[in-house]
Order: sequence, then structure tokens, then C-alpha cells
Amino acid sequence: MISINHYLALATVMFLCGTLGVLFRRNLLLVLMSVELMLNAVNLVFVAGSRLVNNLDGQVMVFFIITVAACEAGVGLAMVIALYRRYGTVETSFLRMLRG
Amino acid sequence: MLFWLILFLPLFGAVLNGLVLRRASKTVSHVVGSAALVGAFICALLTYLDFMRSGGHAQVIPGMEWIEAGSFKAPFNYILDRLSGMMLLIITGIGSLIHIYAGGYMHEEKNTYRFFAYLNLFVFMMLQLVMGDNLLVMFIGWEGVGLCSYLLIGYWYESDDNAAAGMKAFLVNRIGDIGFLLGIFLTFQTFHTVSFSQLKELILTAGASLNGEQIHAIGWITLALFVGACGKSAQLPLYVWLPDAMAGPTPVSALIHAATMVTAGVYMMTRVNFLFYLAPTTQMIVASVGAATALFAATIALVQYDIKKVLAYSTVSQLGYMVLGCGLGAYTAGVFHLFTHACFKALLFLGAGSVITAMHHKQDMREMGGLRKYMPVTHLVMLIGVLAIIGFPGFSGFFSKDEILWKAWTAGDRFHILWGMGTIAAVCTAFYMVRLLMLTFYGPNRSDHHTREHLHETSVVMWGPLVVLALLSFGGGYLNVPHVIPFPEHGLFEEYLAPVLAIPAQAAEHWEHLHAEHEAGEEWAVMAVSVLGMLLASFSAILLYGRGFSPLSTALATRFQGIHRTLSNKYYVDEFYASAVVLPLKDMSYFLWKIVDVAIIDGIVNGVSQACMLVSGLTSFRMSGSLHRHGMVMLVGILCMLTVLLF
Repeated sequence: MISINHYLALATVMFLCGTLGVLFRRNLLLVLMSVELMLNAVNLVFVAGSRLVNNLDGQVMVFFIITVAACEAGVGLAMVIALYRRYGTVETSFLRMLRG
Repeated sequence: MLFWLILFLPLFGAVLNGLVLRRASKTVSHVVGSAALVGAFICALLTYLDFMRSGGHAQVIPGMEWIEAGSFKAPFNYILDRLSGMMLLIITGIGSLIHIYAGGYMHEEKNTYRFFAYLNLFVFMMLQLVMGDNLLVMFIGWEGVGLCSYLLIGYWYESDDNAAAGMKAFLVNRIGDIGFLLGIFLTFQTFHTVSFSQLKELILTAGASLNGEQIHAIGWITLALFVGACGKSAQLPLYVWLPDAMAGPTPVSALIHAATMVTAGVYMMTRVNFLFYLAPTTQMIVASVGAATALFAATIALVQYDIKKVLAYSTVSQLGYMVLGCGLGAYTAGVFHLFTHACFKALLFLGAGSVITAMHHKQDMREMGGLRKYMPVTHLVMLIGVLAIIGFPGFSGFFSKDEILWKAWTAGDRFHILWGMGTIAAVCTAFYMVRLLMLTFYGPNRSDHHTREHLHETSVVMWGPLVVLALLSFGGGYLNVPHVIPFPEHGLFEEYLAPVLAIPAQAAEHWEHLHAEHEAGEEWAVMAVSVLGMLLASFSAILLYGRGFSPLSTALATRFQGIHRTLSNKYYVDEFYASAVVLPLKDMSYFLWKIVDVAIIDGIVNGVSQACMLVSGLTSFRMSGSLHRHGMVMLVGILCMLTVLLF
């Protein structure tokens, strides 16, 4: 029998994978994908919670998150392409314009 | 329906030429531009005949609502009365002829869609100006014609001089426009309406109930409106833009700077004549400025060599006559001179344009001479135009100009000096116009061999309109024959325009002299003085310039070197304006730019931002710029915050 704890454990693992990916991946595309992974971990928690308390609110929230994630992916990819055109690379180690 | 066609055919032509047919050939843009105007003229003629058949009573044609704010209303209403009807015919009629002519004149241009689009737009704006029933619609037209004038003066914008001339016209007109706007504001403040028909009704029915304050306000309103008229109609001291405006193509000079736009000031004053009648002081100023302008410009024209400059100063001078007529309260005489002047000055300008075309765009009369042989038709029509403008008995200028001089003579003893100035200006006019004719068409040819080889009469597209204008210049005068001259019909035009003019009851006494009876002998005598002066001046011009520059003319120029130089340099007015107005303004602008803007304002803004940079520079050394470092710091921060919040 799969309990709520299984779902939460899986979501935690996914979220950590995503976080680590954002923090340590050197390729912007993979960073973006990791962000998606984090979002989907949250989605999983929402759906599991919604099932647990028999309330659809959580699932509705997931739809919103998917929409926002799609937008974010669109904007993010556009920025990646713009960066590539400008600098010829999407390696994060080159992108140090925020240096003070 | 026909009425709206008159208004919108030119606009349609402008849109078609300017936006749609940009790649079309010269012929297409010429045909479209002219067809729009000829169509408008036919509609105008039909509307006018219909209007006169129904008795010629003023009617307001409602258009659409425009501005409505509280008691302030300014709809797009149009007024059709005897004055605006006449202007309709002048603008579309002479406009059509000039459009047709322009096709020939602009023959050597690469493409002319821009030219005809501007010309059509100008006609549309001019129609707004004359047809508008309130001061605001008139103001739209007023600004619109100013814009088109600017665009057309600078039509050959590759040359800096032309662009500068356009800008000068625009800026000088702006000064007049301030006056016009103030007049509109004051009118609304005093009478709570800007509509001409309502104003007229108000003034005439209010009768003696206008209080002192309102009469006082009318004084200021008329003065402010006159400042506007000074700008548009090129009166002293704002006339300086008109001579420079000759930088534009000659058809433009004929249409805008002779026949139509520059008469807008005279038209506007006639439109609100009931206000001007109530302000005798303003009228006195108007008359004095008119007479002074007439004389001033005529003297400058005596020594100019550029054929278009002579005509330009002559236009300023003739506008002075019209303004003088208005100032004397003789609006009929002023408007009649407007009509005859529109015909003969358009003719003279177009004739000069033909000469300039034949001379390969040389305008200096010192290089012309003897063109009569090469251009017989142009010579003939120019001769008629010159006879008309100098007031040769029987030609139109004789009837219109002498009417104004006669009104000046009979206006009272104070006005005799204005009559004197007008008469001297008429003598000068005769001299410089005959001089122009002699230097251009008579005597030996002074042009170089290459130009002389190519001298020839222009095409029928060009001399056709000239012949029509010549007929009008000759015959136009017979519409208003003074009573002393034996002729079947007297004063037709005076009778025609009478319903437009209205002397309010409380000012009637002041203007009694307008209708006073005078002895025929006196009128003959006044006429004889100006005709004799004209003949004398013409003969001396023939004597001096009939065979080119006679030794006597050069001797006179050297003998009176000081006067000659002053006149050649146009009394140094431009130089005076440059040093008294333009330079201080430039210096002040430079000060505002370099010191106030760049040093003070920009200095403060940039100083603040630099201070921020400096302070943040002290703390930002920890920022490596690495995305991962940023992410890590953020994550640790969030975890810390969560720990504090949760435990």
C-alpha cells in the first residue's frame, strides 16, 4: 500500500535533485530543466495532499502551476537563445555580468 | 452634398497623391492634383450659383460636433455667405489654374507627388480657414495653411537656404498666431461664444447695451486679432518672412504667397468687421500699419534685381493697401483689392515663373532683357498684369486701388497723410513694375550664349492659365466702377458685399463719413493725382531701363549711393532682427542648454547616481557574479528564514 509518506519522500528527492541541478549544473538549459523538476515536485505534493483530504483545490492549483511553468519555460528559453546569440555560449561560468 | 465635395476633393487629392500614388509618374500626380481642384471649382461654382439664386443670405452648414465643454462649443460648422462664397471661387478657381500651370513648371523634377499632395492639402486647409463658422475652425485652417506654406517653401530642402526660409516663415507666423490665439481666448471670455454668426447676432442685437468693459475688451480683441493678421498678411513689423518665402517653387509663390494665404488676415478682419467697427483706435492702428507697409515695401522693391523678390515686396505693399482699406472701415474696397490682386499677382508670379523656366532657373533681371522676342505670349500677359497692378485706367488695379485711396482721402483730415503714403506707394509701384517689365522683356538680351540658345515660349499648359488670368486681371475691375465714371453698372461689388458688413448702432456716428456724398470733382482730382503720378513714374522707368541699364540709372545709383544701398539691403531690417531678437535668443538658449541643463540639472542627476555607485562599490566586492554562488546564497538565506519562522 502506497501511503502519503511515499509521495512526500519522492517529492523531496525530486526537489533536492532539482535544487542540486540549479546550483551545480553549468549549462543554462539544464538549469532550466532543473527548475521544472522543482516545480513538478511541488505539483506532486499538491496532488497527493488534495487526494489525502479529498479536496480538489490542490489539483486546481497544479493547473495554475503548470501554466506558469510553461510561461517561465518560454521566457527562460528565449533568454537562453538571446544569450547564445550574444555571447555564443550558454555556459554559466561565462555569465558573470552581476559581478559587483 | 456638393458643398462637402468642395471641401474634401482637395483633401482626397492630397491623400491619393501623398500616400497612394507615391510611385506614379509626374503626369499622374499632375492630373490627380489638378483634377481634384478643377472638380472642387466646378462644385464651388454650382454651389455658389445656387446660393446666389436663393438670395445670397448667409447660411450655416452644420458639420460634426467637435469640442463641447460646459458653455464652450466649437463644432465643425461652416458658413456660406457672400464673403466666403467669393473666397471659395477665388481659391478653387485661381487654385485650379495654378495647379495646371504647376505641371508645366515642375516638368524637370524627378517626381512631383509630394508637391501636388502639399498643394492640395494647402487648398483644403485654406477652405477650412475661409469656410469655418467659428474662430477655432478658422484657426485650424490658419495653422494648416501655415504648415503647408512651410512645407512648400522648403520643397527643395536639399539647400539649407530654402529650409531656413521655410523655418523663418513658420517662426514669424508663430508670433502672429499668439496674437490670434489671445484674440480667440478674449472673445470667448467676453462673449461666451467663438462662432461668427452668433457673435454678429450678439453684437448687432445687443446694440447700445454693450457696457464699457465689453467695448474695452473689443479694443483688445481686435488688436490681438490684428497681430495675427500682421503675421499672416505680412504687415510691418512681421513681413520679413514673405520675401524669403520666394525660395519655394514659383507656383507656390503665386498660390500661397500672393493669391490666397497671405490674404487670410484681410479676410479674417472682414469676417469680424462688426468688432473692428466698434474699436476706432484699433482701426486707426490698422490703417496706419497698412499705409506704412504699402510705402515701406514699395520703396524696397525699387532697387531689387531678383524678379521674384520684386514681386514679393510688391505683394507686401499691395497687402498693405488691403489692410489700409480695412483700417479705414472700407472693407469692400479692401476685399475688392484682395480679389483683383489675387488675379493680377497670380498672373505676374506665373509669368515670372515662365520667364524663370525659360532662363533655366535664373532669377536675376540683370541677366534677362529682350525676352519679348522669344516669349511673345508671356510678354503680352505680363504687360496686362503690370498695367493692372500699376493702376492703369481701365485695368482692374485702377478701380480697386483708387477706391482705397479715395476712401483714405475722404476719411477725414487725420487720414490725409495715409492717403499721401498710399499715393507715393502707388507711384513707386508703377516705377518698379515698369522697371521689371523693361528689364525682363525689352532692351538687349544680357544672358549668356548658352541660355540664349534655349530661350523659347513655354508650353500651352503654362501659358493657357496665364491667358485666363490676364482676362480676369483686365476685366475684374469692372465689377466695382466708381459712380463718377460713366459706365452702365456702378458699385456692383459694394452692393454685393453689403450684407456681410455691419456697423453696430453705437458706432454708426463714427463711420458716417463712409456713406457721405462728395463732389464728383474732388474724386476726379484724387484720381488724376494718382494716375498722373503713375504715368510719370512709368515714363521715368521706361526712360531709365527701356534699353537695358541706361547710363542715367547707374549715375543715379552712384549719386544716391547711401539711399541705394539702404534700399538694396531692405533697410537692414533682417540684420536688425538678427542682432536684436535672434542673437539674444540664441545666446539665452545656449545658456539654458549648456549651463542650466547640462551643468546644473544633468550635474545633479549624474552626481546622485555617481554617489550611489561610489557607496555601493564599497560593499559590492563580495559579489563574484557567479550564478551558482548567488543561487547558493539565496538557498541558504531561505533555509535560515524558514528555520527562524518554523522553530
